[in-house]
Amino acid sequence: MCSELTRSSQPVEAKTKAQGMSHQSDVLPCDQLRDQVIGNQSSHTQLMETLLHLRQTVDDCITQLTTRPPQLDLPLEEQRHNQATGEQEAFLRRVVNLLQSGAMWGLGLQAPRPTLGPRDDAGGGQQAQLSRQLDQLVHQLSHLEVAFVSHDLSNRGIDISAFERSKFQDFKTYQGDKYHEDKNTMGFINLGVSENKLCTDLMTERLSRSDMNHLEDALLQYSDQRGQPFLREEVARFLTYYCKSPARLDPENVVVLSGCCSVFSALATVLCDPGEALLTPTPFFGGLVMGSYLYSKVELMPVHLDSEITDGSARPFQLTVDKLEQALLEATLKGKKVRGLLLINPQNPLGDVYSRDSLEEYLEFAKRYNLHVIIDELYMLSVFDDSVTFRSVLSMESLPDPNRTHMIWGTSKDFGISGFRFGALYTHNKEVASAVSSFGFLNGISGITQYKLCRLLQDREWIDKVYLPTNHSRLKAAHRYITNKLKALKIPFLNRGSGLYVWMNLKEYLQPCTFEEELLLHHRFLGNKLILSPGKTYMCKEPGWFRLIFSDKPLPLKLAMHRFYEVLAEQKRDLRVKQLEDPQKE
Amino acid sequence: MFALPEKESRAPSTCPGPASTQDLDSNCGDGLERECSRKPDQKLPELYGVGDPTAGFSSNSSHLSSRGGIIKWFWDSAEAGYRTYHMDEYDEDKNPSGIINLGTSENKLCFDLLSKRLSQSDMLRVEPALLQYPDWRGHLFLREEVARFLSFYCKSPAPLQAENVVVLNGCASVFSALATVLCEVGEAFLIPAPYYGAITQHVCLYGNVRLVSVYLDSEVTGPDTRPFQLTVEKLEMALQGANSQGIKVKGLILINPQNPLGDIYSPAELQNFLEFAKRHELHVMVDEVYMLSVFEESVGYRSVLSLERLPDPQRTHVMWATSKDFGMSGLRFGTLYTENRDVATAVASLCRYHGLSGLVQHQMAQLLRDRDWINQVYLPENHARLKAAHTYVAGELRALGIPFLSRGAGFFIWADLRKYLPEGSFEEERRLWRRFLDHKVLVSFGKAFECKEPGWFRLVFSDKAHRLCLGMQRVRQVLEGKSQVAEDPPACQTQEPRDRHRNCALRSQDNPSLGEDLPVK
Repeated sequence: MCSELTRSSQPVEAKTKAQGMSHQSDVLPCDQLRDQVIGNQSSHTQLMETLLHLRQTVDDCITQLTTRPPQLDLPLEEQRHNQATGEQEAFLRRVVNLLQSGAMWGLGLQAPRPTLGPRDDAGGGQQAQLSRQLDQLVHQLSHLEVAFVSHDLSNRGIDISAFERSKFQDFKTYQGDKYHEDKNTMGFINLGVSENKLCTDLMTERLSRSDMNHLEDALLQYSDQRGQPFLREEVARFLTYYCKSPARLDPENVVVLSGCCSVFSALATVLCDPGEALLTPTPFFGGLVMGSYLYSKVELMPVHLDSEITDGSARPFQLTVDKLEQALLEATLKGKKVRGLLLINPQNPLGDVYSRDSLEEYLEFAKRYNLHVIIDELYMLSVFDDSVTFRSVLSMESLPDPNRTHMIWGTSKDFGISGFRFGALYTHNKEVASAVSSFGFLNGISGITQYKLCRLLQDREWIDKVYLPTNHSRLKAAHRYITNKLKALKIPFLNRGSGLYVWMNLKEYLQPCTFEEELLLHHRFLGNKLILSPGKTYMCKEPGWFRLIFSDKPLPLKLAMHRFYEVLAEQKRDLRVKQLEDPQKE
Repeated sequence: MFALPEKESRAPSTCPGPASTQDLDSNCGDGLERECSRKPDQKLPELYGVGDPTAGFSSNSSHLSSRGGIIKWFWDSAEAGYRTYHMDEYDEDKNPSGIINLGTSENKLCFDLLSKRLSQSDMLRVEPALLQYPDWRGHLFLREEVARFLSFYCKSPAPLQAENVVVLNGCASVFSALATVLCEVGEAFLIPAPYYGAITQHVCLYGNVRLVSVYLDSEVTGPDTRPFQLTVEKLEMALQGANSQGIKVKGLILINPQNPLGDIYSPAELQNFLEFAKRHELHVMVDEVYMLSVFEESVGYRSVLSLERLPDPQRTHVMWATSKDFGMSGLRFGTLYTENRDVATAVASLCRYHGLSGLVQHQMAQLLRDRDWINQVYLPENHARLKAAHTYVAGELRALGIPFLSRGAGFFIWADLRKYLPEGSFEEERRLWRRFLDHKVLVSFGKAFECKEPGWFRLVFSDKAHRLCLGMQRVRQVLEGKSQVAEDPPACQTQEPRDRHRNCALRSQDNPSLGEDLPVK
């Protein structure tokens, strides 16, 4: 079954997706509702009121919905503009949005699990019973409750909130129960969030030096919205050097904002109108979805890549111009206006690096169709294997379409300081730079932080002689450790020399090989206090892939692999039992 | 909130006169959203006005989306004043003939105190947790500190809770996030005008939310009233008006202490406004960013968080920041306090765009915790300096016979320069502003605050004596030159300098740019 699915003819794939969706819708609302009801409203009466309200809402909706399954008929619904269905449409649209974001993120993460639910202990027995009733009620009608999640939030506010609840629930749980060498060895080990924790010693030392603590009045006052001039100059020098730009980069083309998410969100907003789309080769880092969708309502059109090597490709998940062409065509046929192409290089989660030729082909493709190219090079200095040659887009002699090529970089990954909230845009297009600069006050960086960043980027000596060599050798060691473990477990993975992660295939452990099973496996990891990221989060079209972050200290890494091994062993046992039981049932 | 200054100093140019009469086609709105396409508004211009931040926008870009074009237009239109200033900033030594900035609302009086405090060793801690992804709401240690701080300084009847605190990079972000999570595209907030104009942009950029101005009058109508007084009747009228135009109003923004009026709402007034909001199920966003900059003790400022009972706690959202009260607008620290968990959660999930560095979060927690320093060193000194600066500018204005409003809070004086505008038009107001700028002093004109009466200007006084004095001298020169058209050079240089402004006289004498002919564009 599993292998069948991976070879995936179209219909099978579609079915899998549909299943995935219905599963999502079952899980999500119950949990949200429980959060809502138990978490926020203390008294019994309120709960009862809510129940009654729910019943009413549910009844109303049933009468409206009995004729058709909601999400499938949405387009039809939209065409009919009569007053009576207007409200319902809006509601359904939100549900679909929610499902989409859920699908991307694996909303089911937050399915109530005893091991994961410190919030559950808020309710007494009575409440628990009520909540069970509530669950049943909701279960029948799945997503209908979304409408009254809050009376106070706008629809988009509800979307955003739902996203927060789903995506960050486990992150929050993790925050409250983090692994600590001495204090909490039983806590969660997070190999899900892409952070480089290998060089905190170096970084702490460097940031503690006295040159970092300079203060002047300009740092405490409003600055240029694009960022302090001294920082933009330093960023331009830094990128000129590390991206091997043929000509000196111009500080006027630099805009700095609070994190790469902000840069991306601002870019998406000024390049696309709501409902327009960016082509995105998948699997890809899902965090950007939020930026493009929740704040700016820009959609990402996946260009699905295959793990299998076919005629046009030399390696798994290879992006080809054919695939881009095809995805663009499909999007156009669906009536989607595609404004650009989003590339991540080095790729996240694959760890691939685009060759100069491929990069040029993608850029030429974009130029042919007047598409912007947003290229995220967030991991450009995290290429730890010397045999891998990373080529920054800024290193190209001549860009096919410089006015539509926008590069993003930040210190979060390459310097392991995600808590600094710094991201930079480099674009030749003055219009785009100006428009993005308008966000300088909504996504601005503290003057003090800008100063520290400037000092950091300036210290070429330390970066080249201390930081990068150490960082690379530690990354290499951690990578070797993990990949050896994976090899020993006979788990296929992409062996790449860049990024902080390994993209591995656990479909052997899924029976059947579906996204539901993937999610269940993910929960199993969580149950064993290990956070990994399931492929669905990356819009991967094949179930079974996981991303594992290896840039953690040896001790937690070792413990994590132990837990990993335990879960897989347990999973294997269960699969065997299941296999034995299945024929009996039949 | 880099924009605060920029917006303010630049705001002048964001309001090119004829703007709102221009009818725009829908492509400048949010393309998909019908609500956003504008209507010819202001049927009752006396009472309220539906904000149209992009009126006057017309541009076509091959590279930007239509909203991108608008966003860029914000940037471009804002540029003129601000860029002029930034290319020619006054510097005592390097550029003594540069522009003095009395336009940006920043407190530049206490940098000495702040830099000393921020350089103490407790501020300089670096630890791994501060370098990694935080809780998006802000580090818990900071949220706890904020809750304690606000409980104390807002005199809340019960301790405030860290769970209700969200930390963002400035109040601009709080406005932006709130607008996004409370309103659909095209919906609106009520706001009494004149108001701090940058809010228009904050709620529009991401949120595409509009502001409906509740126009206030400078005229005093009764014995117990004051100029530009907000009343519930005015709120009701504006709300009705907006509704009648089919505009859905979701909330009310109150700035207390008010910017640019320097006014303060009494607890009774506040209660009335909150009750009004409750009646209409409106959210109330109370911006208290100047709450500790009340330098006249007799004023008796009360935070909304000090009220015994909020009429509608689930719809009351309070924002505060260190930008003004601690003179650190460049630090980008702002905070939202709301009992509404849904709102807090929704805002928090937007914090990945509005976060601030862990190191800065640590510093802020240290700062807010240091009650001794705040109470015994910073606040008394800051208030004394604000008072002195205020006294000086107020005196200068009195000497010029210029009426002004100021109630002892904030960094600015709201000055009535209507007598310098013979026709009383916004066009003239703008020209006068331009003359100030040409005379190397940047101020903000009333239109930038959506003031409906032409001729009001905001002067920021929280600057060092020498700059302030020079700035006021330039203001005087422009005004005297203006009012005594074609007369001999004004007697500005004979004006006796106060002791503590000794430098000013010197400087103004060797300032070559003064007294030159004023090009009027």
